[in-house]
Order: sequence, then C-alpha cells, then structure tokens
Amino acid sequence: MNAYAIQVAVPAGRVQLVDVRRRALLLAQLRMLLIGAVFLALACAALLRITWLGVVQPAPSHRSMADALLPPRGEITDRNGVPLARAFPAYALWFNPRAMDDGGPPLVQSAASVAARLKAIFPDLDEYAVTRQLEAGKAGYLHRRVLPEDANRVTALGELALELPRETDRHYPQGSMAAHVLGYVEDGEGRVGMEAALDDQLSDPARRGAPVALSIDARVQGALEDELNRGMRSVSAAGAAGIVLDVDSGEVMALASLPEFDPNNVDAAGRDFVFNKVTNQVYELGSTFKPLTVAAAIDAGTVTDLSRRYSASPFHVAGFTISDSHGLGASLNVPEILIHSSNIGTAHIVDGLGAARMKRVMGDLGFNERPYIELPARGFPIWASGDWPRLRAMTVGYGHGIAVTPLHLATAYAAMVNGGIWRPATLQRVTPGQANRGRRVFKASTSARMNQLLRMIALYGTGRNANAPGFRVGGKTGSAEKPGSGGYNKTSLVSTFAAAFPMDRPRYVIIVMFDEPKGTLASSFQRTAAWNAAPTVGRLVPRIGPLLGVFPDDTRDIDITDLKPLVGDSE
Amino acid sequence: MTPHSRIRRVGWIATLAVCTALYLLLHLKVNAVRSDVINAEREIVALEQRKLLLETEFETRSNQLQLAAWNRVDFGYVAPNAAQFLENERTLARFGTPRPAGAPAPIRVAGNSAEETPAFPKLVSPLTGKPIDEALIEPEARPARPGSLVAMTASGGNAVRIPLGAVVGSASR
Repeated sequence: MNAYAIQVAVPAGRVQLVDVRRRALLLAQLRMLLIGAVFLALACAALLRITWLGVVQPAPSHRSMADALLPPRGEITDRNGVPLARAFPAYALWFNPRAMDDGGPPLVQSAASVAARLKAIFPDLDEYAVTRQLEAGKAGYLHRRVLPEDANRVTALGELALELPRETDRHYPQGSMAAHVLGYVEDGEGRVGMEAALDDQLSDPARRGAPVALSIDARVQGALEDELNRGMRSVSAAGAAGIVLDVDSGEVMALASLPEFDPNNVDAAGRDFVFNKVTNQVYELGSTFKPLTVAAAIDAGTVTDLSRRYSASPFHVAGFTISDSHGLGASLNVPEILIHSSNIGTAHIVDGLGAARMKRVMGDLGFNERPYIELPARGFPIWASGDWPRLRAMTVGYGHGIAVTPLHLATAYAAMVNGGIWRPATLQRVTPGQANRGRRVFKASTSARMNQLLRMIALYGTGRNANAPGFRVGGKTGSAEKPGSGGYNKTSLVSTFAAAFPMDRPRYVIIVMFDEPKGTLASSFQRTAAWNAAPTVGRLVPRIGPLLGVFPDDTRDIDITDLKPLVGDSE
Repeated sequence: MTPHSRIRRVGWIATLAVCTALYLLLHLKVNAVRSDVINAEREIVALEQRKLLLETEFETRSNQLQLAAWNRVDFGYVAPNAAQFLENERTLARFGTPRPAGAPAPIRVAGNSAEETPAFPKLVSPLTGKPIDEALIEPEARPARPGSLVAMTASGGNAVRIPLGAVVGSASR
C-alpha cells in the first residue's frame, strides 16, 4: 500500500530513472550469474577430469613380468643346469662428443685426466689409446661389459660425454670352456656351435624363455680340457681333441678341441681355432681300428678260435708289404695281435673276413657318412667307394686308407662295447629311456668278447698307462703317421687312445687324440699314443668317473680268466 | 506431490548419491592396489635381473678353468681312489675282523624310534599271538588298594606302576 502511494506520487521523470537503475541491477546480476556459471563449468570440468582419471582411465601401461624377464636370447645350460651361455644385461662405456651440444669441448676436464680416472676404474684399459680417442673427439666404445658398480663410478666422474648405454650381451661364464660346443654370437646370430644349431629356438620368443639343456656336464668338460691341455703342453703337440660319450644313450658328456678360442671375445686369433677337430677334421686313426676289425671277424664267425696263431712275418700283398714297427716273434694269436698292436696279424684277420664284409661293417658303423651330431660343422670321411680290393680292406683293418673324425670312432667304440647297438651321438640332454633308436651292428656276444679283449690291452698291452686303478679301463692305442706330400710323414704322428670304462659294464667311451706330439721328457722321449694319449686317459678317468657315477672298486673287474692263458707270458 | 513422496524421493536420491560415492571410493582403491601390484612387479623384475647379474658374476669367477688353476697352485686336491669309497654295508663289513673263538658275544642294543612304534596294541600275548586286553595291563583299573605295593604284586599283574610316595611293605600299619 505504501509502494502504491509512492508510485502514484512520483513524476514521470523519476519513473524513468527507476527503470534505468533496475535495468542496471539486472545486468549486474546477469553478469554475476554468467561468471558464476563459468566458474561452475570450470569446476565441473575439473571434477569430471578427476573422475575420469580416477575411474575410467586405465592404470599405468601394464607390461607383464614374463615379458620383462624374457631374455633377448635363450640361455644354454649344461645337463645339471649350470649356465654355459646367457644373455647378460651389461652396460657399455660409449664416448659421445656431442653430448654437451654447446659448441665447446666435449669434456669438462682434460682428456688425459679423464683417461687416468677411467684407468683407475678399469685397470685393463689402455690409457694411451683412450686419451687419443678422447682428444680426437670421435664417438666410439671405450669399454664393454661394464658392471653396475663400475657404471656408477663412471657416472660419478661427472662427464656428460661418457655415456653408459645398456646392452644385451651374450656372456659365457665358463670362458673358453666348451667353446667349440657352444660357438658364439655375432651380429645377433649364432655361429659355429650349438648357438648356430639352436639359433631358431634361442631367438624364438615363444620358446626362448626356457633354458636349453645340453648333454654336456660342465665338470667333466672342465676336467677333459684341463687334462688335454696338460697333455698337449707336456708333449708340445700342435693340437688335441677329446670326447666323452655315454655308450647307452649317445649323449656327449664332454667334447673338446684344443687350442680353444674365447667365445666372449672372438678376435682374428680366435677365429683361427674355431675349427672343431672332433667333428670336422678327419684323421687316419691307425691302430684304434684293430678292435673294430677283430669284432667284425668274430661277429662274422671267421674268427672262432682266439688261440689260433697268425704268422707275424711281413705280409706281401699286391706289391705292398705290410709290416710291424718291431718284430713280434714268429706268430701271434688274436689277443696278442691286439695287445702288441700287430698290423700283420690284423691283415691276416681281414683276409679271412673278406673285403666286402669288412666294408659293410665299416659302413654300418657310420664311417661312410658325416657324423651324427647337432653341430653344423661335420667332416666327411675319406671313404673309398666301390668294391674294396684286398689291400684296401687290410689297410683299413689297421686304420689306414680311411680317415674319419674322432667322433666317428667314439660312436663306433660305443657300439662295440654297449652290446652291439650303434646310436647317433647327440649334444642335447636325453631323458632316461628316451635314447635314440639305434641299429644293431655287432652281436651281444661279440661285444662281451671285445670288452674282455679291450681290458686285456689296458692290462697287458700298449694301454697300460691308461689303467687307472679301480676303474677297469679298457682301450686301444693308435699312432698313425700323418699323410704328407708324397706318402706318409715319418715324424709327425696322430696319436689316439680310444677307451671305455668300466669294462665289466661299459658306460662311457673316451677318445683322446694328440696332433703331432713330440718326444719329450714327460713322454719318455716317445711319440706314440702309449706315452701321451694313454697316460692322459689314465689321469682323466679318476677325475670324471665319480662325477659320472662310476666309482673305483678294486674288488671287481671283468672276467678274463678264459683268455688269460693265451697271453700267459706277456705280463 | 505429497510431502511423503517428496521425502521418499529425496531419500532415494541421497541413497544413490551415497552408493555412487562409495563405488567411486572402491574404484579408486582398486586402481591404487593395481598400481601397487605393478610397482611390486617392477621391483621383482629388477631383483631378478640383479640376481641374474650376481649369479653370472659368481659363475664367471668360479669357472672350471679358474678352479683348476687354483687347485694346481693352492689346494692340490686329487681324485679319490678306490679305498676312499664304500659302496654298501657289505664293503663296510670288509673292514671288520671275525670274532675269535671263545670271545664273548658282543652286546647288542636294540633301538626303536618313536615313528616306528605302533600305536596299538601295547602288548601281544606270546601264547595266543593276539593283543592282550587293556584292562589287564593297566594297573589303575585293578581293584587294589592304592599305596600298597604288596597288594599290587600279589594280584599277579604283568606291569607294575609304583605311584609317587608309595610305601613299600606294610610297616606303617
């Protein structure tokens, strides 16, 4: 009622003024509302964003642990899980002169003082060469395989130009051990050994997570290389080769070719030794073939009476005279032929057997093809094709005129002692009872007889130096002259000892071979296998026997009482 | 709209708001836990790599060539010979000497471990080969006067259990 009175009382001019004021008030309220709306919208947006971050957006990019732990290249272990080759996340020390990127010198301190400080961290660094490289300002590696502690110390130097990129490196913890079995990795590809043979599996993301177990036993391999190295140095040999083979499964327990190379650092000098003497180089392995010849003759039934005596006077065949290194009397029986390693006697046995049967047995033993093993480098034997003439069969009988790898010989000996089954050798661990299917080459009875004869050679013959007490070693020596230009070289030999142990139930075959041994004081100035390869086996067997589950026992041995009278006076 | 239905509607909206808030809290918590898991996994990966590094370093420092070199220079261990191995009890028995004539028989002590003892029965009758009744070998079950050793022995029980403080004989009476 009051307001009405005022409204009535005010004149027209004042009414207009009130209208203006009202409009201004409305405008101000509108602006307030607008600003409030803008703030509200901003708050809503922020709230929505927070909600979005907390609720909708997925958690930090999730990389599964299996992916992160998958090695860039699969691991290789020995049969007991000892790592032999693994991808090793290491740092490298890289010099990047453009790291500062300010047009000034790349280093804060002088090149010489930086090199001296690096030398304090890496004692094997060539200080002079590093100083030259830093002064020249050329990018490049200063050191590789840097341990994390050393990487921290390099960072503490405070030089931005010294970078530590993380690299996945292939590392062989055992150094040069088993280098020929493992091979090495170059440019991301496996070379030479099992690195090459298993390349697909080791680089396949689906399969490389699980380590690959080889048949090698690291301890046996170490012992074999140690003894071979010792033997090789003591007789100044040019090279050596050795293999330990499981006779029942064909697994290679150790395989060594010396001189070795270092797969961690394959340089030009190392590349010269990459050639594998056990699987790739063929040799005339000489008298180690004689037991195989005798086994073939016993198996064929052409030698039934071991006491039968063969003439030991030089044997003239097709214009060639087969003779022995020294006179062995007028005649020899079969055990004596093996014990004294008579070429003439073996030739007579082959004559009775016949060239065709001789060739067939040698073929059955795998001497006419490359050896069976996973390694890519496998040598082809020197094998005469066509029908063998009588003389060829006789020379093959004592290991000449045929050249095979030491691995061939090992698998053949395994077949001879294990009951007569030939099996291919393998470098992959074999589950017990899952061994490769073999083929029968000899009868079990022949194998049993040969075990007796091999034991007699080690007891009474040329293999006496290999007779490790308690281990019942049996084996045969072989010393073959190396073929040179224009016939055989009289002074350079390949001396081999092919052994099996324990002979009462053979489990392992060992081949030890020295290339061009010299007569030294250690070998009583002899170059033949009885004085270098046989003693090496004699030292090796006690070291590896207990590791392989063969324990020395003086109370047991193979029964040779039925053959002992045949060599009565040779003890 | 009645005041009742309005209150009900407000109630529903409040419930919905509370539920949504709780759901949001839970979701945030889940995401936080998930982040923790990922962090833990990263830590595991880092530790595994560290383990690999240390293991490789150990294997490298103790490689076969190094061990052989140390053995040559420092230790000189040689392979054990046949006399150092015993295959079984029979080879162990080889070291014993036969008992000379007239020597007393060695004292043999039987042993039995707790695991080998059967829980039941405690005693088997040597005559019938069947388990003896529990009541016969439990002295407490017998109607004998407690404290009297004579009474217990006179009743001809197999097992005698002497209670603490028992009086031997009946001198006190």
